[in-house]
Parts: sequence; structure tokens; C-alpha cells
Amino acid sequence: MNNQIVTLGAVLALGTLPFLAGNAYLEHLLVLWMLYALLALSLNIIIGYLGELSFGHAAFVGVGAYASAIVSTQLGVPPLLGLPLAAAAAALFGLVIGYAALRVVGPQFAILTLGFGSILYTVTNHWVDLTRGPMGISNIPPLSLGPVTFTGARETYYLVFALVLAVAYLCHALVTSRTGRAFIAVRENAPLAASLGIDVFRTKLLGFVAATAIAGVGGAIYAHYIKVITPDVMGVHNVAALIIIVIIGGRGTIVGPILGALVYIGLLESLRVAGPLRMVIFAALLTGTVVFLPGGLVSLWHRWRGGPRAASDATAPAGSLPTAEGGAK
Amino acid sequence: MDLTVFAQQIANGLVNGMAYVLIATGLTLVFGVLRIVNFAHGEFYMLGAYLTYFVGTLAGVDYITAVAIAAVLVAGLGIAANKLIFWPLRRDHEFTILLSSLGLALLVANGGELLFGADPKYVSSPFADEIVDIGTVTLTQQRALIFIAAVLALVAVYLFIQYSRFGKMMRATAQNPDGAALTGINIGLVHTYTFALACGLAALSGALVGPTVMIFPTIGNWAVLKGFIVVIMGGLGSIQGALFAGLLLGVIESLGGGYISLGFMEAIGYAMIIAVLLWRPSGLFSTARGLR
Repeated sequence: MNNQIVTLGAVLALGTLPFLAGNAYLEHLLVLWMLYALLALSLNIIIGYLGELSFGHAAFVGVGAYASAIVSTQLGVPPLLGLPLAAAAAALFGLVIGYAALRVVGPQFAILTLGFGSILYTVTNHWVDLTRGPMGISNIPPLSLGPVTFTGARETYYLVFALVLAVAYLCHALVTSRTGRAFIAVRENAPLAASLGIDVFRTKLLGFVAATAIAGVGGAIYAHYIKVITPDVMGVHNVAALIIIVIIGGRGTIVGPILGALVYIGLLESLRVAGPLRMVIFAALLTGTVVFLPGGLVSLWHRWRGGPRAASDATAPAGSLPTAEGGAK
Repeated sequence: MDLTVFAQQIANGLVNGMAYVLIATGLTLVFGVLRIVNFAHGEFYMLGAYLTYFVGTLAGVDYITAVAIAAVLVAGLGIAANKLIFWPLRRDHEFTILLSSLGLALLVANGGELLFGADPKYVSSPFADEIVDIGTVTLTQQRALIFIAAVLALVAVYLFIQYSRFGKMMRATAQNPDGAALTGINIGLVHTYTFALACGLAALSGALVGPTVMIFPTIGNWAVLKGFIVVIMGGLGSIQGALFAGLLLGVIESLGGGYISLGFMEAIGYAMIIAVLLWRPSGLFSTARGLR
């Protein structure tokens, strides 16, 4: 009950934020926050619930972005139709790549996804006929839904915010559902899960494809909002950004990635003067979080609320990862 | 098919492949002995190239000495990285270790950009502009040097692991760390020097390849990716696997670049690992645990 009130309050507060922002720059940052929250939530399905580390997630963001950008600029398809198309394209790539990569676990999976991500990046960079290579695609038309055109930051904010809410609800529903429990079981102990009749490979593939589809939608919205897309969106930089967001916020939670995205965008902008030093700070934050705060920022809240005992209970999903996967090999 | 061109492509591929093998040997050693998948490995390659540049231009010593100094300095940095990050985390979950090595990689790459500047640099070497002819094949002396130095380094590493007392300690630790510790082997020392050796090899590779390309602070990304492809294809923890897969990758990339498309050369390499992994998920020469 108490939780519901807090959630409702948070949603209302987030809903009124664009009106409090006051200027276009802050509104733009809010959109970026929500976009990264959406992408981080999708990556969190893989990292947090499946317990695998994907180093290729940004590639699927790029696939969605390019799919929607190409069909809307070259074929004249209405951008709104581009969104499901982007989801389908990213999910298709996710299916093929997941089918190959999910045969291995742990470090091998991380490296394989990194390799797949690099293939997609290289191909995007060199297939100039289709993607215009490093020049990128520009003049991407904005999304529109009937009379509403999502050109400005405020409209886009509400669109992405709605998607973030939907995905957050989906994750919440997932964790409490039979499928979600299967995810957790696979994460905690794959052989045991298999012995209970869970198809480990299919469960992982399902989660992976769902995550890539959401990433594709996020990428498409990004492309239509920024109006320009280059292969950089699939680069190592973005891969690292998404992982940093999920880990700093708190993997395996719903609030974590949203909070992590706020920290990332906030620091990225407020430290703009620092230049390359920014990534050094993020790298230090990542390493520091991994070592000292494995549950991420979210676990601070539980620590503060319930003292050390409750903290260990509340962060159990994230905190128990270490022991879990050792047995899953 | 023109045989001269074909032989040239193969030779180019073998030279590139040998550089990959140097990178991958370090990666596979660190995985075999320390059980760390080190995403920061490429950064030691980058540091090797940069230190060669700085030692060569600022201190004014000749190229070969600069390479040696750079390799030793980077090995020292490796000891520091191991002491500060990986040794304290050794009992942690692989997830934590993987992420902290990613953190270290980002830290060094971006710290490097901060220190060295983002503009490309050229490592000068007296061998870069001279050529050697081997039959119909023509290579620059620098590229011949890459191949020869890499072979010498690998033979030395192999003999060291196979026959020296410390090499036996490394293999014992790789097979069973607890058992090795029980027989009185100082695991901490083995970890430290194995990591240093791996970093030194990466730095050597960077220092040798440096004069043939432009260097910039993000080349570590490229290096670690190549290393990973080789190591995954050859099987994590296997040195023979790294040797075979590294040369194979070099040759296939070179042939693909020559006969198909230069732009997609990189993608061909990645496509190769996928083909191999679909066939043998744990690599060509996989070892369940330990060095072979």
C-alpha cells in the first residue's frame, strides 16, 4: 500500500517535471534522461534478470534507429509505423544473435556480444549505400500521431515517459509472473532450473529478444527526436554508458536503471567543461560501485531505511548474484 | 588467381596474425592462471605503443631500447593494476571482475586521452621505411621485425612456462590454485608476475605494431577485441589455441581484405568466431581449466 503511494507520487512528480524545467535545454535533458532510462531498463532485463552481461546492447539501439530512419527517409513510411518496424528489426537481430551467443555463459557471452556489436558497427560504418556510412542519416522526420507531432522536447518527453512506465510495469509484472520467476531461477542456478523443467536456453532467448526489441524502439525514438543518426550510436562509448547506468543505478531493480540514467545524464551535462575527464570519472564510479556498492544506488535507500539487516534482504536479488552463478557453470 | 599477390597476402596475414597472437597470449595466460577476463588488456597494448613513442622521442634513445623500456614499464603498471584491483577481488564473482576490468579499461583509455591528447601520433622506427625481399614476397623491415620478435617472445614464454620453476608454479596454479597453495606455492607472487608478463607481451605487441600504423588513445579497444576473438576462437586458456587462431585470423582477414572488401575486413574476422563457436561453443582448443 505504502509502496503504491510512493510510486504514484513519483509518477506524478515525473509527469509535471517538464513544466518545472522552464527552459528548452532542461527539457531536452529530461528527454535524454527518459531515453537512457528506457534503454537501461531494457539492458537491465539481460543484466539484472538473466544475469548475463551484454556488451553489444548499443548495437540493437542502432539497428532500431537505422531501421526507422531508413524506412521513413527513403520509403516515406510514416515515422509512427517505423517504431514497430524498429522493434521488429532489433528483435530479429536479437533472435539471431541471441541464438548464437546464448550457447555460452559468463565472460564468453560478454565477449561474443561485444563481437556481434562490433560486426553491426563495422557493417553500418561501411555499407554506405544503405546507411550513408560515417556521414550518417540526417533530416529524419519527427514522429507524429494524428494531429500531434513530436518535434519538441516536451511532447517527446511524455511519449518516452509513457514507454518507460510501460516497460517498468512490464518488468514488474514479469518478475511476479511465472516467466519472470523462470528468469530468476535460470539466473540463480541454471542446472537446477533445468532440472525443474525450465528450458534455460529458450527462457534466456525470450528475455534477450524482448530486451533488444525495447532497445530498438528506444533507438528509433532517439533518431526521430535528434533527427540525425550516425554509427556512433552503436559504438563502444554507448555500450559502456548503458552498462554504467544499469550498474550504478542498481541491477535487477526497476528504479535502479531510471536513477542511473539520471545520474549519468546529470553528470554528463554538469561536467561538460571537464571534457575527456568525464569518462574517467564514470569509469571510476563504475569500478567503485562494483566493488563497494554491488547493489547500486538503489541499495543505499534500503540500507538507510532498514539498517544493515534489511539491506542485505532487500538487495538480495542483486547481492546474491555472486554466489549464484558460480554454481551455474 | 595471381600467385605472387596471393603469397603476399598470406605473408601480410601472418605478420598481422603474429601481433594478434602476442596480444592473445597475454589474455589467455591471465585467464588461465588468474581466471580473469581482462577487458583492460588492450590498454596495455596502447600504453606500450605510447611509451615507446615517448621514450623514443623525449628521452632520445633508439627504437629497440625504447621498446624494451616500454615493455618493462608497462609490466610494472600491470603489477600495480593487479595489486590495486584484481588481487583484492580475486574471490569475487566473475561479474564483478569483468565489470571492474571494464572500468579499468575506460579509466586508462580516457586517462590516456587526457594525458596524451586525442590526436594521432607516429612512432618512428629506423626499420619502417626499409624493405626486405623473401622470394616474391616484399615486407618492410618493421613488419619482418614484428614477426621475428613475436616468434622469439613466444618461444621464450613457452620455454619459460614449460621448463622453468616459476612456469611450473604457474601451471600448478592454473590447474588448481588451492592445491598449489597447499604445496607452498606463493599464489600472490604467481598472480603478480603472470599479470606482469601478460601486460609486457601486450606492450611489446603495441610497441612493435606502433610504427606501422597511427597510434591514438583508443587503439586499446581494437586490440582487446582482436585478442578476444583470437582467444575465444582458440579456446580460453589455451596458448596453442591462441597461436593457431591468431595466425588464422590474420590470414583470413588479409585474404578477405584483398579479395572481398577492405571495409568489411574487420567484420569477416568477427563472422569467423561466430562460425567457430556455433560449431564448437568453447573454442577450437578449449581447456576446461588451466594451461596446456
